[in-house]
Amino acid sequence: MKTIQWALLLMLSITILSCNKDDNTEEDLTGQKGNLVIKFDNGVGEQDFIYGTSYDKSNGESFKLEALKYIISNIRVTDSKGNTFMYPSADNVFIVDEANANNAGEIWITLANVDAADYTSITFGIGIDQERYALGADGQGNFLTEAQEAGMLWSWATGFRFVRLDGTYSSATVTNEPLNIHMGSVGTALDNYREVTLSFPNTVKVRENKEPEIHIEADILKIFDGQTSVSFDNGYSQVHTDENTTPVIANNMKGMFEVHHVHNE
Amino acid sequence: MKTKLILFCIWGFCISCSNTQEELEYRPTPMEVTIPENFPNLVYNLDHNPVTQEGFELGKKLFYDGRLSANNAIPCAFCHEQAFAFTHHGHNLSHGVNGGIGFRNSQPIQNLAFQNEFMWNGAATHLDLQPIIPLTSELEMGETLSNVVAKLNSDSDYIKRFKSAFEDGQINSENMLKALSQFMVMMVSSNSKYDKYKRKEEGVTLTPQELNGLAIFENKCSSCHATDLFTDQTYRNNGLPINPQLNDKGRFLIFENPADLYKFKVPSLRNVEKSFPYMHDGRFATLQAVLNFYDSGMVDNGNVDPIFLRANGSLGISLSNEEKEALLAFLLTLTDNEFLTDERFSEF
Repeated sequence: MKTIQWALLLMLSITILSCNKDDNTEEDLTGQKGNLVIKFDNGVGEQDFIYGTSYDKSNGESFKLEALKYIISNIRVTDSKGNTFMYPSADNVFIVDEANANNAGEIWITLANVDAADYTSITFGIGIDQERYALGADGQGNFLTEAQEAGMLWSWATGFRFVRLDGTYSSATVTNEPLNIHMGSVGTALDNYREVTLSFPNTVKVRENKEPEIHIEADILKIFDGQTSVSFDNGYSQVHTDENTTPVIANNMKGMFEVHHVHNE
Repeated sequence: MKTKLILFCIWGFCISCSNTQEELEYRPTPMEVTIPENFPNLVYNLDHNPVTQEGFELGKKLFYDGRLSANNAIPCAFCHEQAFAFTHHGHNLSHGVNGGIGFRNSQPIQNLAFQNEFMWNGAATHLDLQPIIPLTSELEMGETLSNVVAKLNSDSDYIKRFKSAFEDGQINSENMLKALSQFMVMMVSSNSKYDKYKRKEEGVTLTPQELNGLAIFENKCSSCHATDLFTDQTYRNNGLPINPQLNDKGRFLIFENPADLYKFKVPSLRNVEKSFPYMHDGRFATLQAVLNFYDSGMVDNGNVDPIFLRANGSLGISLSNEEKEALLAFLLTLTDNEFLTDERFSEF
């Protein structure tokens, strides 16, 4: 029964579409959808991020990382008319893992079926928001499994690590001490989800036959030298669910992203 | 053109036929979650995971299946035995897949749908996600979600059961956790002698001794063991001497807030007769020992809840021997034999 309705609908829409072809003088984007690629490119200050390389912080401490990943969710783009396209919630959560980067150091997220429009800004969340967490297992599909495989699920508590930086740090007093930044939320008591909005330098044109790319640079140094400069020696070499240190890291992460350029093809 | 349309319709008709056949497999029987009259509201949001007979039965099978553990031998039920209010009978601490010993006494599984947070220090903040902790703990079941999902996917009975319990029929972490939640949501203990007295059912009355115990309880215990869940769901430091071998800092481990040192969740007292031993580390074997502790065993470990402060500055809840006897009599009225023997929750 359902299928008959679909078939009729399909035929009807084909008819309508073919009728419309003639008066298509100005660009009518109604119903048109396309892909949108977001490339995350991790760096440290003026340098590319490379595993095992030592990077300096402003206070003289240095760090090397073996794992670098974070969760991005609730991606949406806003067009020149102020309309916002929110990617479907169930699929709108991603682990950006440096280990999955291509040779250029980019981690690609491809959003399919994005409404065609001229977009001027992007907004996304870092981590998992309260609403999504409250769904429990509902709508997660295999994301919990994926997150666990990536080491982005706590094992001793429930919930997600929003970021995972594992490595070592050195300071004036210690050398190669463990560094583990696993910031996340704890239920409703500690909410470390943050959102960022970034404007595009030029409009991003999503069309049926175009796949624009947004190149986002993520400056890992800002996680430690951002809105607040933190000291590894002073409580920030192990950040997990501490109610004082985790919000500082979360707020610093808000400032680490920048749209470097966009490609319209 | 006309022929094409007809063909199209015929094709559509065939498809709808096969659709109907597929739908036959997913026809779950809804199960009602009854909220006992004397209980607070449900916390668990059933809209996101409605309980069905098929989902519940699947959850039960998972609960009793050792394949959820690394050595295929330690099911959830290993540490949660029904006859003991789903605790680990007699064990202060439990051992897991690698012979490792856990840090805390296993807690009862009952009335969880009415609670906000789980585990002794509230480390689990959603019922659906709670099972991930024991499942992945190296000291407990030592598994990963992907391994468990792979094991279930190779079992034809599970393939069938997931299909009949969930619309998408997938064996994945979402549906596995939903099934476990459905099983746990149904595990409501609300038919103790006390409940029936409270709801004025079946002409149940309490003896004078039990009534006396209830009065003492309301006077001296119910500010923390509040409501008919017998917990206010807060975290408190009740002045237990620190066991240096474990040095379990409780809720402090989560937010690293010094004010949380040695705090543990106020446990429910339902079926407390059966859920021995007591306290987060199972240090007290009997209820008598617990009452003696509150009367005269508390120590100042630096962060004891002020509710325990006596007028003379010492810590504790003063209880005479008569009061202890009455309290014990009352606590035994919280035993819910219908729940402890309910075949819906039994393995066999």
